Amino acid sequence: MTVLDLPHRLPSRPISLRLLRPLVAGLRDFAVALLLPAVILLLWAIGSAYELVPQQILPPPIYVWENFRDMLAGGELLQHAGISAVRVAGGFAIGAALGLLLGIAMGLSEVVDDYVRPLFTAIAQVPTLGWIPLLMLFLGIGEALKIVIIAKAALVPMVLNTSAGIRGVPKAYVEVADVFAFTRWQKLRRLILPAAVPPIFTGIRYSLTKAWTALVAVELLASAEGLGYLLVWGRQMFWLDTMIVAMVIIGLVGFAMDKILALAEAWLQSWRIDG
Amino acid sequence: MSSGEIAIRGVSKTFRVDGRPLVALDRVDLDVAAGEFITIVGASGCGKSTLLRMIAGLEREHRGEIRHGGRPVSGPSLDRGLVFQEPRLFPWLTVAQNLALGLENARVDVAQKKRLVAEHLELVGLGGFGNAYPRQLSGGMAQRAAIARALVNRPEVLLLDEPFGALDAMTRAHLQGELQRIWDHEKITAILVTHDVDEAVLLGDRVVVMAPRPGRIARILDVSVPRPRDRRDPDLIRLRNEVLQELDAIKDAAPAALAS
Amino acid sequence: MSLPLAEPAIETSSTASRGWRPSHRLRRGLMLPLLLLVAWEASSHLRLVDPRFLPPLEAIAITAREEIWSGDLFLHLGASLARNLAGFAIGTLLGVAFGLLLGLSPVAGRIAGPTFHAAKQIAVLAWIPIISVWFGFAETAKVVFVAVAAFVPVALNTIEGAASAPKPLIEVCEVLTFSRWQRIRRAYLPSALPSILTGVHLGLIYAWLATVAAEYFMTVGPGIGGLIIAGRERFQMELVMLGVVILGTVGFLLNHIATLVEVRLLRWRA
Repeated sequence: MTVLDLPHRLPSRPISLRLLRPLVAGLRDFAVALLLPAVILLLWAIGSAYELVPQQILPPPIYVWENFRDMLAGGELLQHAGISAVRVAGGFAIGAALGLLLGIAMGLSEVVDDYVRPLFTAIAQVPTLGWIPLLMLFLGIGEALKIVIIAKAALVPMVLNTSAGIRGVPKAYVEVADVFAFTRWQKLRRLILPAAVPPIFTGIRYSLTKAWTALVAVELLASAEGLGYLLVWGRQMFWLDTMIVAMVIIGLVGFAMDKILALAEAWLQSWRIDG
Repeated sequence: MSSGEIAIRGVSKTFRVDGRPLVALDRVDLDVAAGEFITIVGASGCGKSTLLRMIAGLEREHRGEIRHGGRPVSGPSLDRGLVFQEPRLFPWLTVAQNLALGLENARVDVAQKKRLVAEHLELVGLGGFGNAYPRQLSGGMAQRAAIARALVNRPEVLLLDEPFGALDAMTRAHLQGELQRIWDHEKITAILVTHDVDEAVLLGDRVVVMAPRPGRIARILDVSVPRPRDRRDPDLIRLRNEVLQELDAIKDAAPAALAS
Repeated sequence: MSLPLAEPAIETSSTASRGWRPSHRLRRGLMLPLLLLVAWEASSHLRLVDPRFLPPLEAIAITAREEIWSGDLFLHLGASLARNLAGFAIGTLLGVAFGLLLGLSPVAGRIAGPTFHAAKQIAVLAWIPIISVWFGFAETAKVVFVAVAAFVPVALNTIEGAASAPKPLIEVCEVLTFSRWQRIRRAYLPSALPSILTGVHLGLIYAWLATVAAEYFMTVGPGIGGLIIAGRERFQMELVMLGVVILGTVGFLLNHIATLVEVRLLRWRA
């Protein structure tokens, strides 16, 4: 009864203030966060304006900006970014899907795990950077190479997180299911799969991050298009403005992908706690 | 020469919860004599832990005044040791090193430090465990170590915030006995906060019963049972029932007070 | 290359008798790799695949022996490890210092934190071209790149560790009237240590990968990465495979060493 009484006493006035306070704090933090980039930009501008560093080593920021505008207007930037995006999407989809299946199989069946894990570990142990030159000899430097490399990079974290997630279902819950005499199928549907969703999602997030890194690696080493190639090309031509634009785009895309998945993960977690 | 008396005068504290004021303590007055053992008992939300943290100097934002040995409390001091509900031992230090933390800011030389640590390990019955890590201790042993850490630089006042709340009944009963012995041995002022009525009457010279919303002192009972005490003593049981009645009365009065 | 075969099995309620499991698991685990090797040998000896693509295993062994006997392998490996360690040491030192600054000082954290978190989103390999412009193709550029690669995870984990000292222990410090420096030394640093070590561990792995990547792109001088690239350019599959095996083995060993050090330094944990 006392609890029910309370809401009537809620004062309505401070609400606007209450909403405003975090906003103001957020704006202040944002301003402080921009301080350092602003200082760096300023030093950069001054340094290049007075030619303290040669322009081939560090072009003035305005050049980078103009270059970005031109590449955007000319469609060049979008073309390269698009090619990279398609590669990542393809490789990630294949790698993550295979990884999910393999991870589920290894998580559910000890026999499968016994057979597959050592070979999987050996393959995972050799880093993507090792596979690139090896597979270049087998597959050439076409699209197949890129897709395979990206898929392999995406597969590994997916398998590890999925199988661990399924194996890691708390024993206490399994005992509850045993007490209620759940069948194998009921256990899978009611317990194991729902409990494995968060680790699987973590796997997806790692997968995508790894796929993006692998894309940059493979495009740097063997490509004639894409954001990574833009870097190599800029290096060869000594166009630092192009390289900086490419680096920023690579960073922004990586950041955006990770942020979106982090938000989705948080949403998923809150849903699990409420439900 | 300073001493272990505590004077609390008109202490009030208001928290803001979701922008609404919540009176945690409302004009609390209490005098604790040097060498006295005071227990504070009350339902959760009555502000007893807040009051103890104020005496320790951890909570500094409040109205009214708290004096220790005549001087106002303005922050934590080595003259007042505090034991938390959890042992809060530093997991990367051995038990002896954890005790030595309490002497870090005391003016004693290395040899003296060693001696004090060894003495206090003995005092709480952890003589052979100086080199153990906290994870190797049971809950009761860890809490003994925490008590030793609070005592090691010989404070005038020992503050205990539900120190046995997380222990099983047997261990708790045993440590209550130990605490009496230690208090008797050290001759210091002790203020113990608890929600366990038996504990309150067993240990206290006086039992302070607190009521919630707003947090205040409802009643203070004298426990004139001689020590060492036996928890089956009829006088103690009578007192316990009296405290329980008081707490029940507070609970029954609460909705009415809120509705008014 | 050694394979970790003895993954601890997680108990499930399905099968009962397990006394014979270890050897049984080993046999199962070896099945696929052995089959694969046999298929490899057979197809290269029976000319099912061009041996230039899939050289028989003994060809790789012979290449390995030649490279070892001539001392080339040690030259390459030594050069790689030296620049790996140099870059790793620089990156780790700077990373710990930077991370502590950001983690312990709220002001520094608010000023430099967002910039760091934004910059770390750039896939570390993307730094190679610009570093090679700034520092050339020689040793300096490689070490700088390795240092950058080690710096990121070390700084990241140090920030996290330093900022997340448990509140209850900080309160104990307050009760014991610890000064700011005493709090850092007694509470913040030790409680950040596991996180810092995780960062250093990751940094070691990243540094090794970065070493090889740097050698791929800046192929001046000896190094395992250069060896692999040379093998690819000369179409010597044995050499590429040898290089890749060494790359994986060194990574595995570094990881193992890091784990041992971590366990030793964190004995106080359960």
